[in-house]
Amino acid sequence: MTRLVPLREAAAPALRTVFVAASCAVVLVPLAFMLGSSFMPAIDIMRMPYRWIPETWMPANYLRALAGNDGTWMFLRNILNSVIVSSSIAVSTVVLSSIVGYGLAKFRFRGRDAVFMAIMGTMMIPFETVMIPLYLIIVKAGMQNSYAGLIVPFLMNAFGVFIMRQYLITFPEEMLDAARIDGCSEPRIFREIVFRNSGPAAATLAVLSFRQQWDNLLWPLLVAQEEKMKTIPAYIVKFAAEKHADEGAMMAVAVIASLPVFVLFFTLSKYFLGGSAVYQAGKE
Amino acid sequence: MIGRSTASGLEWNRAKWGWIFVAPGLAFFSIFSFYPMLNAIWTSFFNKRLLSLKAPKFIGLQNYQRVLGSEEFWNSARATATFTVGVFVPLFILSLLFAVLVTTMRRGRRLVQAALYSPAVLSSVVAALIWLLMLDPRGLANQFVNWVSMTPGIDHRWLSDGRMVQVSTMIVYVWKYLGYFTILFVTGIGKIPDSVNEAATMDGAGPVRRFFSITLPLLRPTTVLVSVMILIQCMKTFSTQYLFTQSGAPLAPVNVITLNIYNTAMRDLNIGRASVMSTVLFLFMLGLTWVQLKVSKKDEAGL
Repeated sequence: MTRLVPLREAAAPALRTVFVAASCAVVLVPLAFMLGSSFMPAIDIMRMPYRWIPETWMPANYLRALAGNDGTWMFLRNILNSVIVSSSIAVSTVVLSSIVGYGLAKFRFRGRDAVFMAIMGTMMIPFETVMIPLYLIIVKAGMQNSYAGLIVPFLMNAFGVFIMRQYLITFPEEMLDAARIDGCSEPRIFREIVFRNSGPAAATLAVLSFRQQWDNLLWPLLVAQEEKMKTIPAYIVKFAAEKHADEGAMMAVAVIASLPVFVLFFTLSKYFLGGSAVYQAGKE
Repeated sequence: MIGRSTASGLEWNRAKWGWIFVAPGLAFFSIFSFYPMLNAIWTSFFNKRLLSLKAPKFIGLQNYQRVLGSEEFWNSARATATFTVGVFVPLFILSLLFAVLVTTMRRGRRLVQAALYSPAVLSSVVAALIWLLMLDPRGLANQFVNWVSMTPGIDHRWLSDGRMVQVSTMIVYVWKYLGYFTILFVTGIGKIPDSVNEAATMDGAGPVRRFFSITLPLLRPTTVLVSVMILIQCMKTFSTQYLFTQSGAPLAPVNVITLNIYNTAMRDLNIGRASVMSTVLFLFMLGLTWVQLKVSKKDEAGL
């Protein structure tokens, strides 16, 4: 008995480490599969047993991925579209959310709380519920197959307003008052003092919004029916569904589509993961 | 007298600027959230077709009768419910388990969290695409399962059998979101004061007892948050099902509600009926959020 206790105490952490390490390995398998297969000829990807390291290197997969099965190089254009749409939305979300969040955080006026509640209420409306009326608005405005149509419904969101308001509520009142006494106009106070100092919250919000749009499939599917206005997710679905799609090229498409977000993740992981922390802080 | 009027003038000026700053938000959410929401409800009472020049006709509850009386709708409701339950249970249990394990580790915490989180970095479509190839009859999934169960050469029909397609979509989701919810739980556990755990250890409580008597009850705000987030995410699932069915998987077993709304509107061009399903989905989400608010209010009162 006296011997058993130390043994159990020593074995538990070791077991835990083995279990956790094995689980991490399992979770990473599909990523390794994506990367490895993107350099393999299609026959090798479906070979039994699967070899993790390519035996025949096929960097040409990446060329086929970019050129497409029809050789029109449409993927390049679609990547550009994704970059334009996602970054515009990231910028506009940050700017507009901090303007509105500032108004809600630092000004007293009748009806302010009602405005705040109304904006927060929109978080309960699932996008899937409003997408068809939104689509009809865009059609009526003649904005199908245009960047405007892809961007406008996401110019800002309630979550962004919420983050910016929470962040700006703690902004030192003295700084604002000092600027007012100096005769600074309100727009200028916002631009020069408030916006310049909202870095961390703004960065988190920008990364989250970019990420979300990079992933968006449903809305571009509705609004961008022309090939040249599609974004990456819609391109991927089309590419994968084509009859003679090559598996190696498919994985190369997957790698190319993931690169920007992985780069963001590794350089800005603080803000990436910050999102969940902010979200949780807000719920308290 | 003069002093008061300048003070109220100042106040009025501040209020004016408040409204000016808030105005873009009011305008935006009115046009792109409230109007479409009301429009969806309104349209659900009309016989409205996409791209039709005829004026939509008011037909009362006929759309509701049609939709709620159709086998296809109930199939979608079932598909969504199956998916939600099938994802919720393993995702909740696994992410809580990993969070507990991670927090007791002395070294390598960040590494483990980063590894578990990495699938969440991918787009949903990319995640689904990777699994599409791994679940191919000649793919890794069959090889792995056959290796474990020592049944060489069996095709488990991941993407062709109705039940298996459902399982496949669940696997993709659990895999993708495991790390995300693990991190939420880790943050929640981090907020539990060490002193409580230490006191319990001194009183002789083992790790299992400590988990059920201390961690789990004190973690309640996080468990409620995570539960609602998983449920809402699952009810809105679209990309995986869309990619799988576009690539040849059978539609009926994974025809979740959002996919059905999309097809009803864009393929069948029936906006009225799509709006009925949109409204039903909205009511469900509203119910969920209401439950969450209730529970978190109760927590606050209890503290």
